[in-house]
Amino acid sequence: MPEASFAHPHVWATVRSEIIFGPDHRITGVRQAWTFDEFYTAMAVQGLDTNGDGVFSKTELEPLAKVNVDSLKDFDYFTFVHLGDDDEHNFPLKPPVDYWLTYDKSVLTLHFTLPLETPVDPTQKEVQMDVYDPSFFVAFGFAKEDPVKLAGAPGKGCSATVKLPDPGSEEDAKALSEAFFSQLGPGSNFGSQFAQTAIVKCATN
Amino acid sequence: MRHELNAIMRGAIGLAFGLMLVVGACCAEAETAAPLSAFGPPSATPSPFGAPSQAPSAFAPPRAAPLQASGPIGAIFSWVVDTQQTMQRELANGVKRLKTENAFAAAVGLAALSFLYGVVHAVGPGHGKTIISSYVVANEQTVRWGVIISFIAAALQALTAVALVGVLAIALNASGIAIKSWTLQLESVSYALIALVGLWLLTTQLLRIWRRWQDAGADPVVALPHADHDDHHHHDHHDHHAHDHDHLPGDDHYHHHHAEGEICHHVVDAQAVSGPMSWRKIMAVVFSVGVRPCSGAILVLVFALTQGLFWAGVAATFAMAFGTAITVAALATLALGSRELALKLGRGGGAWANAVWTTCALGGSALILLFGATLFAASLGPARPF
Repeated sequence: MPEASFAHPHVWATVRSEIIFGPDHRITGVRQAWTFDEFYTAMAVQGLDTNGDGVFSKTELEPLAKVNVDSLKDFDYFTFVHLGDDDEHNFPLKPPVDYWLTYDKSVLTLHFTLPLETPVDPTQKEVQMDVYDPSFFVAFGFAKEDPVKLAGAPGKGCSATVKLPDPGSEEDAKALSEAFFSQLGPGSNFGSQFAQTAIVKCATN
Repeated sequence: MRHELNAIMRGAIGLAFGLMLVVGACCAEAETAAPLSAFGPPSATPSPFGAPSQAPSAFAPPRAAPLQASGPIGAIFSWVVDTQQTMQRELANGVKRLKTENAFAAAVGLAALSFLYGVVHAVGPGHGKTIISSYVVANEQTVRWGVIISFIAAALQALTAVALVGVLAIALNASGIAIKSWTLQLESVSYALIALVGLWLLTTQLLRIWRRWQDAGADPVVALPHADHDDHHHHDHHDHHAHDHDHLPGDDHYHHHHAEGEICHHVVDAQAVSGPMSWRKIMAVVFSVGVRPCSGAILVLVFALTQGLFWAGVAATFAMAFGTAITVAALATLALGSRELALKLGRGGGAWANAVWTTCALGGSALILLFGATLFAASLGPARPF
């Protein structure tokens, strides 16, 4: 639905991410698993049980997964990877190498793997990944349990944490009111104030 | 004519109450008929529309960290978002409860919840608040008409949603992707129509001002708008019968009630800018807003369908529409109150009233045009993934 004008989310997604490390201990990409709410799921899977066996199989969900992933490109996969809090310079991402949907307990989960165009070294400076929808049509939140895992990380010294926006901070009041009044424009960034950030740190050496 | 209008008004208000009764009836139907309905008994045989039964699994849906924004203003936004999510979850539970608990209590609960959801949901864009408020302010509309227009538009949005889901999901077993794409297209159509309505209103009002200027050249007396009763003869072009004064209590003119057939002429010269009540314009506004199905309603309808309780979804949709109508009507009333207040500040000064009416007429119409055009342009953006 048109993204420009919604000050409140219509879809909720719970994010679980896996940061993928290459053999040289650089981050090569991220594996996303986004679990949607029941309402969105009901809408999305409507009519997809094509063989009528009462189960939504991976094959039956394939066309939906493709639509999701294809259109995610226009939204930068709602995934913004950068060094430190420098969210002005996001590392470019390549289209997903794999993607599929699973349906379980009346909710859908979209899985896909996003490679970074160039691997990123997390040792010099922490690597941050924001997952959010700038227009705030979709509300992304990291899972309470196991939000971020590290895959293939060098044995020692790497950790992943999740940072939530700080309701106590005063500094963003101006930016927020700007966001509030610009939410009608096509370049809305209203959702950024809700953005949750995964932080990956690795010890130097 | 006034007689007829009153009759129509009574009819429309009756319609609004009828809507409440329909909601009640639908809920009652959900209560009594749901177990027998074609759309699926709760547990007996699997319905063709019911949720597919899945093999039990160890999977537990993950719960997300609370959404919160930074800073003091963020706390308000967070609250709004949180409320929205809680209500949406409760709606889902409300539909499910119809199958498990005391169905009557569950139905009443669902209707109440849908109504509240509608009231809150309408605060978000897309339910015609801006359009309807701007329209009534820009034109010679009254509070009663603002309320009626809000209700008809909300009812139409609900009907569009029910028709869309009914035809696509039930009759054609179309996919969610198809429903979404239809919703998007109807939204674009709605925004384009809103822009056109704005353009139409603006054009007619500019023409009217132009005509007044010309009249003023021919007869300087008319150039000075007056608020007294002795100037009937100058504006035969104006449809005196169709406009309806409905002054708010506290308004300067509130004491002044007209007998049947008497013609009201307060600030008529100034008001003439905004034009008489026009059914065509009201219909255009209602249609342009109503052709866009309510997004919340579509979610509830499809969800109810998957639970085999489509009629509960329909009832919830109308309860929701009733809620959105109340919010929209309240805002339209507020907008009209502001206009009345602005007029009052002038203490009957003709030039002031003239300025207020002209500002409202042109500003309101321009706002509709701008809003429609902006939303239409935005609706042509890339398709959303979810």
